[in-house]
Amino acid sequence: MSAAVPPRPTAAAPPVGPPGRSLLADAMRRLRRNRLAVVGGVVLVLLLLASFLLPAVLGLDHEITRPEFHNQGPSAAHPFGTDNLGRDYVARVLVGGQTSLLVGLVGAIVVIVIGSVYGAVSGYFGGWVDEIMMRVVDFLYGIPYMFLVVLIMLQFGDEDRGSNKPIFVALAAVQWLTMARIVRGQVLTLREREYVLAARVTGASHARILFRHVIPNCMGPIVVYGTLTVPAVILLESFLSYLGLGKSLSWGVLVAEGVQGINPVKMDWWLLAFPSGALALTLLSLNFLGDGLRDALDPRTRR
Amino acid sequence: MYRTLVGLVVAFAVALALVGLTFSSSAEGRADYVFVNGTEPKTLDPQKMTGQPEGRVADAIFEGLTFRDNETLRPVPGSAVSWETSPDGLRWAFKLRPEAVWSNGERVTAADFVYAWKRLLAPATASEYAYLLHFVRHAEAFNTFGAQAEALGGPEGAVARLRARVADAGAGAGLTAVRWQAFVKEVGLSDLLTGTADPVLLAAFARTGGAFTAAEAVALADAVEAEQVRREHEHAAAVAHLGVDEGIFAPDPSTFVVELRTYTPYFLELTAFYPTFPVHRRTVEANPDDWFQPGRIVTNGPFLLHRWTVNERIRLRKNPRYWDAPAVSLETVDALPIENTTVAMNLYLTGSVDWSPAGYPQDLIDVVKRRPDFYGQPGMMVYYYRINCTRKPFDDARVRTALGLAIDRKVLVEQVMRGGQVPAVTMVAPGIPAYRSPQGTLGFDVPRARALLREAGFPDGKGFPKVSLLYNTSDAHKKVAEWIADQLRRNLGVDARAVNQEWQSYQESVRRLDYDLARAGWIGDYRDPNTFLDMWTTGGGNNQTGWGDPAYDRLIRLATEPLAVVEMAAAERDAFLATMKERPEAERLLAAVGAAPDPKARLAAVDALRLHLFREAEAILIQDGIPVLPLYFYVVTGLVHPRVGGFHATVRDVDGSMIPNLQDLHPFRDVRMRGPAGAPR
Amino acid sequence: MSARRGSIPVAAVGGVLVAFLVWLAARPFLGATGGAVAGLVGGAAGARWLPHRVLVRVIWTVPLFFLLIFTAVQLMFHVPGDPFASEKNTSAEVRAEQKKHYGIPEKGFVGGCKFFAVYIEKAIGEGYLGPSIKVQGRSVVDLLMPALPVSLALGLLALTIACFLGLLLGVVAGLRPSTWVDYVAMAFAVIGISLPSFVIGSLLILGLSLTLGWLPVAGWGTFAHLLLPAVALALPYAAYVARLARGGTIEVMSEDYIRTARAKGLSEPGVVLKHALRGAIVPVVSFLGPAAAGILTGSFVVETLFGIPGMGRWFVNGAINRDYYVVLGTVLIECGLVVAFNLLVDFGLAWIDPRLRGKT
Repeated sequence: MSAAVPPRPTAAAPPVGPPGRSLLADAMRRLRRNRLAVVGGVVLVLLLLASFLLPAVLGLDHEITRPEFHNQGPSAAHPFGTDNLGRDYVARVLVGGQTSLLVGLVGAIVVIVIGSVYGAVSGYFGGWVDEIMMRVVDFLYGIPYMFLVVLIMLQFGDEDRGSNKPIFVALAAVQWLTMARIVRGQVLTLREREYVLAARVTGASHARILFRHVIPNCMGPIVVYGTLTVPAVILLESFLSYLGLGKSLSWGVLVAEGVQGINPVKMDWWLLAFPSGALALTLLSLNFLGDGLRDALDPRTRR
Repeated sequence: MYRTLVGLVVAFAVALALVGLTFSSSAEGRADYVFVNGTEPKTLDPQKMTGQPEGRVADAIFEGLTFRDNETLRPVPGSAVSWETSPDGLRWAFKLRPEAVWSNGERVTAADFVYAWKRLLAPATASEYAYLLHFVRHAEAFNTFGAQAEALGGPEGAVARLRARVADAGAGAGLTAVRWQAFVKEVGLSDLLTGTADPVLLAAFARTGGAFTAAEAVALADAVEAEQVRREHEHAAAVAHLGVDEGIFAPDPSTFVVELRTYTPYFLELTAFYPTFPVHRRTVEANPDDWFQPGRIVTNGPFLLHRWTVNERIRLRKNPRYWDAPAVSLETVDALPIENTTVAMNLYLTGSVDWSPAGYPQDLIDVVKRRPDFYGQPGMMVYYYRINCTRKPFDDARVRTALGLAIDRKVLVEQVMRGGQVPAVTMVAPGIPAYRSPQGTLGFDVPRARALLREAGFPDGKGFPKVSLLYNTSDAHKKVAEWIADQLRRNLGVDARAVNQEWQSYQESVRRLDYDLARAGWIGDYRDPNTFLDMWTTGGGNNQTGWGDPAYDRLIRLATEPLAVVEMAAAERDAFLATMKERPEAERLLAAVGAAPDPKARLAAVDALRLHLFREAEAILIQDGIPVLPLYFYVVTGLVHPRVGGFHATVRDVDGSMIPNLQDLHPFRDVRMRGPAGAPR
Repeated sequence: MSARRGSIPVAAVGGVLVAFLVWLAARPFLGATGGAVAGLVGGAAGARWLPHRVLVRVIWTVPLFFLLIFTAVQLMFHVPGDPFASEKNTSAEVRAEQKKHYGIPEKGFVGGCKFFAVYIEKAIGEGYLGPSIKVQGRSVVDLLMPALPVSLALGLLALTIACFLGLLLGVVAGLRPSTWVDYVAMAFAVIGISLPSFVIGSLLILGLSLTLGWLPVAGWGTFAHLLLPAVALALPYAAYVARLARGGTIEVMSEDYIRTARAKGLSEPGVVLKHALRGAIVPVVSFLGPAAAGILTGSFVVETLFGIPGMGRWFVNGAINRDYYVVLGTVLIECGLVVAFNLLVDFGLAWIDPRLRGKT
């Protein structure tokens, strides 16, 4: 390992844009110019619209069972095929998307906000503050998750069974931990940068430094891991389904059931392909959108 | 940078070294016969085990008085070489086989059986199957009366408290039925007085309204006290005599005597069932908690427990000391604890496993059942839904009936399950010799269902609360639950949803009566209607529906002691017969008992009467009460490699006809391999 | 690594706790007196030579363990279900007897406290972590000890694959952003993330075991059995690592000092190796800390799919069966691994960015 310490970096410009433009407006402008990000955003919106509006508009029923038509491949009547009870798979995938997209996106936002702030505070202050905060994270990490989920399930009565509230609580309870760690790691490396020291010298409060200097410069990992949180949340929801907390219909659940269709005896590929495809499409668009967001918000690439 | 690379390489090497360490235990070759055994066995202690995975291993390493013949599944001499029965069928004397030995060389003696059977019944063993032997003289007293008498008697006991209540109430309005029922619940009185035949008590348990007069209340307290005293005495007698000279005892080392309290036709079958297997006393007493681990365990069956690696495999080796060792063909047997049906199927298809019972994903049934190596036979199990009869509107029998009539079981079995299951409208699974279930009324009749629902106050399902169909997480159960929900929605206009919980939460929800409808399944332990019907008695531990019917309870009780009917006083008997749905038949059978020319014929006649009483009880259950919705009778299915010989999916009945192997029993002692292992063609 | 000789109290308290931990670990092997001696020696050496950072971590971790066990016990005692439930409902007497035998008091806060007290006393006093209730006649240690090396082996292999593959893809993609190289690599990453490990595992089994017959379909016992599960376990993590590494690489490459290095005439590979990798690794290392603990405790899904007798199954089955002692055993192991890896992560971060050395 070469002994050279990287040459002292020049201070990054403080995040004040061209006169008259706020950070956010500037970011939006740059985002719009990124074609891939725009495509990603559009696809995401289309998926949302399709999931929430299409079933009602087209009159699709995802619950009606026709077992005599079970496990049929894609056809004109059923473009995505049918499942093991003869239910139309287009309807199942779309309605499942409602749960997954809602849970995934909202859950991810909650996770990002809680995790980033927590991690940034921990990394920024360092010392015993960091030590305590990270031990809390370790503690929450070590708790057997299943019991926590069942306990949460108990707090919500019968009326809430089938609603999204308990799911959000259960998911948010643990997913923010890794985000906090990542942001903390990033902040640790940023803390000693000149502009931070400079800001402190000029008397800026800790909060101001955190929110205007430190966190914006962490946007990279935040956005990247944030987009990675969405699939993690969606798949975690299917684990919750197993316990009886999650919805019985979501992309995660469809994928878990669909994987049984992949076997040497009988290949019902559509049961796995369509929900996985929807999941992958969502993530791909989120990725491009996320990359665009990161580029747009990164102060160092501003001109 | 190079240090990192070196570090990574070292990590890799460490990983591989660790891997090498974990392999050492798996270095032996493939066993002669490998099969998928489902869940990991919890224990190999015969008196403490329940469940098929445990049973398969126990059947191989232990041997009871009898074992099941491979081609007929009837009990044939095992550790016992012969037996004699008294004419009334109540006394059995087994002669033990002189050459039967334990794996450490000691002889298997009658004392071993006395010890094991007593152990099964001992309260300290906390055995779940103790109730199986309650028909043996002194057995029930030994098993339960001690604790019951203790809870009933003494200054803090139920008797004292009841007398206090009666005294308090006597001053005021008298003991109300409501207060009485609350007392019963608080003290668990019906559990403490299970099996009582005292008419005063039975009437009181059924009473829900009004109040007892002062005299009645005192009589009630007297009756409870009488029960307490009786139980105390019988317990003392049992402790003194059971295992010594009555009930279960060994007059000499090679004779084992069993005295039954009441004639039990399936008794001999139970001597081949694992709770009655002998255990080696010194071994058990030396290490009560883990005597059954390999290296410690002492067994007497055709195989030895060679190795038990949790989550990996159980390996059995042929026992050279077994009295019939030359007849055993297999040298080694592996039981794999695999629950995942896809993994089981994959292992079977690649030839790693020779037998995979129910070991394929249910959804693939259409393709799997066309294979030549597939077998499917009716099983002695019923799939049904419990209804919570304590919750409105399910407390109305019309509502329950409507739900039952709105489900098209034919479609369920042919289109949803597609495995050859049999639609069920009765609760006793087929396969029980000489028993015919009564006519079920829960066919598929939507107009009548709708009419009933309207009658109950819910025209077209309006006003009906949301119905949750509870099931424990499983793909197969989910499929059925969601389909039924759709049926109820479509046919009755009821808003039904399938809801799942993981196993433990589900069990507790059912136990606490916190459900609307809950999925359930029941496997028969022995070929007698009792195993399917005695659970539905009022307050029974496995009832869990809140339903109870004194007429039903009485029929079940009398079915286990049919001679009580024969000995009833004329007036009482007439009153009893008047309650029967098929009175002429009952009278005919009763007459046949009296007219029997010899003891053997008499036993057969009593047996027939007994089965009729069960039939009457089942009629109440599935025609009037309907606390449960039977759906279908299981099929026992699986994949078995063509090279496996001695494996019979159907077996010969007494009359020579072929009947299904209901419990999927394939003892290893008779399995022979014809040909090498490899993927099945 | 600079070892800041911190204040005396930290060293003293830290030393005592290190002694305690060494005693606990050494006692099963060296006996009571041997363990005590080892503890004293270890404690003194630790107080004298261990870095400040490590001592502080030890001081915080020991109470963490106690708190964690206590919370886990309370959770278990407030949740429905108990280890003795079976499809045949047993009588109250039978269950009471079973509970007494295993030392399980009544549910609720008080019961939990009683259980906790007895558990700690047995664990520290005798080194006994309790019996399994579902698998009778075996202690928790008997069951978890053989499973641990299996999971460690599988996990280390998976971790190595994930790191190599992920870093390779991520750095390469980050060095050529918005080119086809980038898109292909990221498409792979997206697939790896959106397909859960049981799907990847099933596809691998279908392709390589059932269709081509190259590798065994399930089980454990040869190196061939190791390969597919390791890959199935590694791929989702590799995808994460690739994404994070790519992000980190892009950021680093846009830094001024990279331009300076290039201007100074440093060759491109030199630039990459010396600087880009270092920048790429920061988010990866932070992520890998807890992720590694997750991989090493074995993935339940992969182990079930491949029939591997590892730790992951105990985590989930212990909870599902309410096998109290097993659950606590798994909590101990997981917490230990998490703490160990967090330390590694912190040291790693300091090593990567020397400005972090000596500071916390």
